[in-house]
Amino acid sequence: MGFLSPWFLAGIAVAGLPLWLHLLRKFKRTPQPFSSVMLFERRLESSSRHRRLRELLLLAFRLALLLLLAFAFANPFVKHTSAVAGRRTLHVIAVDHSFSMRYGHRMQDAKARAHALVNALPGGSLAEVVAVDSHVQALTQPERGRAALQSAIDQIQPSDLASSFGEFARVLRVMDRSTGMRLDVHFIGDMQQTSMPPAFADLAAGPHTSLSLSRVGSGDPPNWAVESVSAPARVYSAARRQITAVIAGWETSAASKTVSLLLDGKTLETKHVTVPANGRVEVKFSPIAVPYGAHRGEVRIEPHDALAGDDSFLFSVERSDSRKVLFLYAGGHPEEALYYKTAMASAPGSGLVVETARLEQAAAKNLSQYAYVVLNDPGKLDPESDRAVCSYVEGGGAVLIAAGARTAGAGHVPVSGDAVSFGGGSEIAGSIDKNAAALAGSADFKNVRFSRYASLSPKAGARVIARLSGGSPLLVQEHRGEGRILIFAAPLDGSESDFPLHASYVPFVVQTGRYLAGEEDQPSSVATGTPVQLRRTRSQGTAANVIGPGGRRELDIRQASTALSFDLDQDGFYQVQRATGARLLVAVDADRRESDLAALPDDTLALWRHTGTAGASQSDRRKQQTRDRTFWRDLLLLALAAALLESIFGSRYLGRGREA
Amino acid sequence: MPVELTNRFVDPAVLAGMSSLDLVAKIVVDGFISGLHRSPDFGFSQEFAEYRAYTPGDDLRHVDWNVYARTEKAYLKRYRGETNTALMVLLDASASMGFASGAVSKFDYARFLAASLVYLAHLQRDSAGLIVFHDEVQNFVRPSARQGQLMRLLHGIEAAVLGKRTDFKRPFFELQQFLKRRGITVVISDFFDDPGKIVDTVIPLRFRGNELILFQVLDPAELDFHLAEPAVLVDMETGEAVETSPSYAREEYPGKIRAHVSDLHSRAESAGIDHFLLPTNRALDEAMREYFTIRQGRL
Repeated sequence: MGFLSPWFLAGIAVAGLPLWLHLLRKFKRTPQPFSSVMLFERRLESSSRHRRLRELLLLAFRLALLLLLAFAFANPFVKHTSAVAGRRTLHVIAVDHSFSMRYGHRMQDAKARAHALVNALPGGSLAEVVAVDSHVQALTQPERGRAALQSAIDQIQPSDLASSFGEFARVLRVMDRSTGMRLDVHFIGDMQQTSMPPAFADLAAGPHTSLSLSRVGSGDPPNWAVESVSAPARVYSAARRQITAVIAGWETSAASKTVSLLLDGKTLETKHVTVPANGRVEVKFSPIAVPYGAHRGEVRIEPHDALAGDDSFLFSVERSDSRKVLFLYAGGHPEEALYYKTAMASAPGSGLVVETARLEQAAAKNLSQYAYVVLNDPGKLDPESDRAVCSYVEGGGAVLIAAGARTAGAGHVPVSGDAVSFGGGSEIAGSIDKNAAALAGSADFKNVRFSRYASLSPKAGARVIARLSGGSPLLVQEHRGEGRILIFAAPLDGSESDFPLHASYVPFVVQTGRYLAGEEDQPSSVATGTPVQLRRTRSQGTAANVIGPGGRRELDIRQASTALSFDLDQDGFYQVQRATGARLLVAVDADRRESDLAALPDDTLALWRHTGTAGASQSDRRKQQTRDRTFWRDLLLLALAAALLESIFGSRYLGRGREA
Repeated sequence: MPVELTNRFVDPAVLAGMSSLDLVAKIVVDGFISGLHRSPDFGFSQEFAEYRAYTPGDDLRHVDWNVYARTEKAYLKRYRGETNTALMVLLDASASMGFASGAVSKFDYARFLAASLVYLAHLQRDSAGLIVFHDEVQNFVRPSARQGQLMRLLHGIEAAVLGKRTDFKRPFFELQQFLKRRGITVVISDFFDDPGKIVDTVIPLRFRGNELILFQVLDPAELDFHLAEPAVLVDMETGEAVETSPSYAREEYPGKIRAHVSDLHSRAESAGIDHFLLPTNRALDEAMREYFTIRQGRL
């Protein structure tokens, strides 16, 4: 036994107070002379003894109250060895229903084994059925009835998601801590190697968990799949675009495959390729002209194998006109837009065309028809322009603000409201964050020199994605409402830097343009489980909408008005309408890691089975099961009881005093 | 003493503040006499008849000049026969008599009473004697009516000091040796003893033709005992300690003390002995007058 807060034991000294008072009171009772005691009877002494006993009880309760309080605050604990054997056992029947379980009869085999396990459970056993892919889904509560368990097993269907053993082990650890029961886990699946977490330690289960692994399927079966398709998500011209696909085989011998390219269900081209053993081959289709609109593309291989789901690969492509960008210049100098407009025009694949206008015309423009707006050193916007640009951004628009001397003189950056001041003298560009979507694919701003720059003070929540060599922010990424804001610390016209003269200028203009136009998050295809953003903040009142591969609305009314994102869990095409009104056609394909059906070797499975408590020595297990059990709550309850008794005895004592 | 003279009865606490017993006795007896016109027949002597106010033509030899000296009023002392009664005062000086809850202890009160009685006897020209006792005789003044007897008695009373325990047997045995002729014996005590034992001890005096009077002096606190909290009481005579509680003092003790006094009274009455209770907070002259009124009525 020990104390977590031993200093509170000093409170025991307070117990001396009632003791002192009691003794003081005892000594105060000095003998009182009386003429004769012949009329007083001896029996009074016994009542006196009773009274003294009551006073001693009162003293005892007072002492107990103070001592218990002192001990309770000292927070005593005892080493408590949890009796694992004394815990109830919860049988967890976990069934892998990831995409790879579609192979052959694996799913049926796994369910049959799960049924057999349920039937073999001792009568009255507590059991629970969970389904495992990249998530772990409890299909039942802990149940004693077999019917509910059998029904849950019957309802398990293979999903299009990849399995994650790391997530499964994490959930088991949580259950181990929270249920207070001994977990007897039976995991049934194909034990794919690709489902292993990066660190083996992530597979450790809790100290009260025993794990048995049951593998369905035998060996490492061959599988071919369309591993990837390279296709543009958007095209802005009638120019033909080439589409390529990679056909891969795992544990396969060399085989001939017929590869077809389909657009909106119509086969555009078919090729015959030979896929080498355990290899992959790239298939290049003839360039195609994409008609206007969003189209559903597919690359398919035939003949199908036992895992047909990965024999086709879906992608989307959309043809539209180039989108316009409004470049607003101040001070009546249209030449400020020259570099920016030329840089954008030099990259026709960007799909963006720059228009120029005076800053004062901003309020008169219909900004919603522009992909984004560029404010080149705007200074302080007039109220109407400021209101127009702010409204445009909050509604889902985007703005690139180049803060030069005029803006620094105004003291704050328009639209964003960030404080800005004149920076120092000559500086060169420093580091950039290439993980930021706005700069993905951009080249380093090597040797770019700024003769003057604006010293930006980004507000909380802003992200600095490029800095000057002195550490001052060079490019800041922010949001306002549903819109995006980029703030550059110098004008884009080269008046205060030699940036436009460097090779990194064009990629910067194009990539930031794509980011601001919202095209960076529109790939031609995504893997299952990828979330799609529906809105940036919950304050937006406009409803979003998602129509799944089956043509069904995936969001109910509440989700449509509040959900920030939606997980694309099924293989197929999703039609997404964001809260800003933007529409997307998203092609979703099963994670191709699932196509590699190679199973974990037996020794790895044995190692997993004994990871954590199973692999620990008995002494280690005892050590893990020994915990500090505090009992300050018990002491407080006892103190409460002592306080009640003290009140009862004290009131009687005081009552006698009043009567006297 | 304007205050005392204007008051009908004298507070014992006022008497306790006086330095000499003769003054106390005179004040008490004068106060007692001042009510005489309403009760003409008072006194111990069997032959005493009355005091009567002087009227022109009365024989000046019968004027009580002492009373005249005190009151400036002439009274005639009238007798029915010869005065040969001896008054014997037995004063209890045991330790329990020292108990006092106020300004006057039982012993003080008893001394005032004793002084007043011998003074009254002196006025009647009766012989008077004194025995001060506790468990033995502390002082003895032989009864006499000679000149200077009053001063001897008062000195004996004033010199009495508290002793130890009360024991009636020994002083009464010795008293029987001295009392050769009939007279009046007054016992002043708190009588904290078994009433039967007390009466059995004193009753032999009654058989010799003596008249016996028991003045029981008790403190008000002994009659109406209160305790604020449990206490340990120590007997002033025996040193015995007894714990008692407020509830006992409130509920049981009053009945016991009343029973004790009543028992003594009834036993004394049945033995032809006068018994009179005197709480120390009661005016002594008033108490004496009441006693003598009762006594006169009984006679």
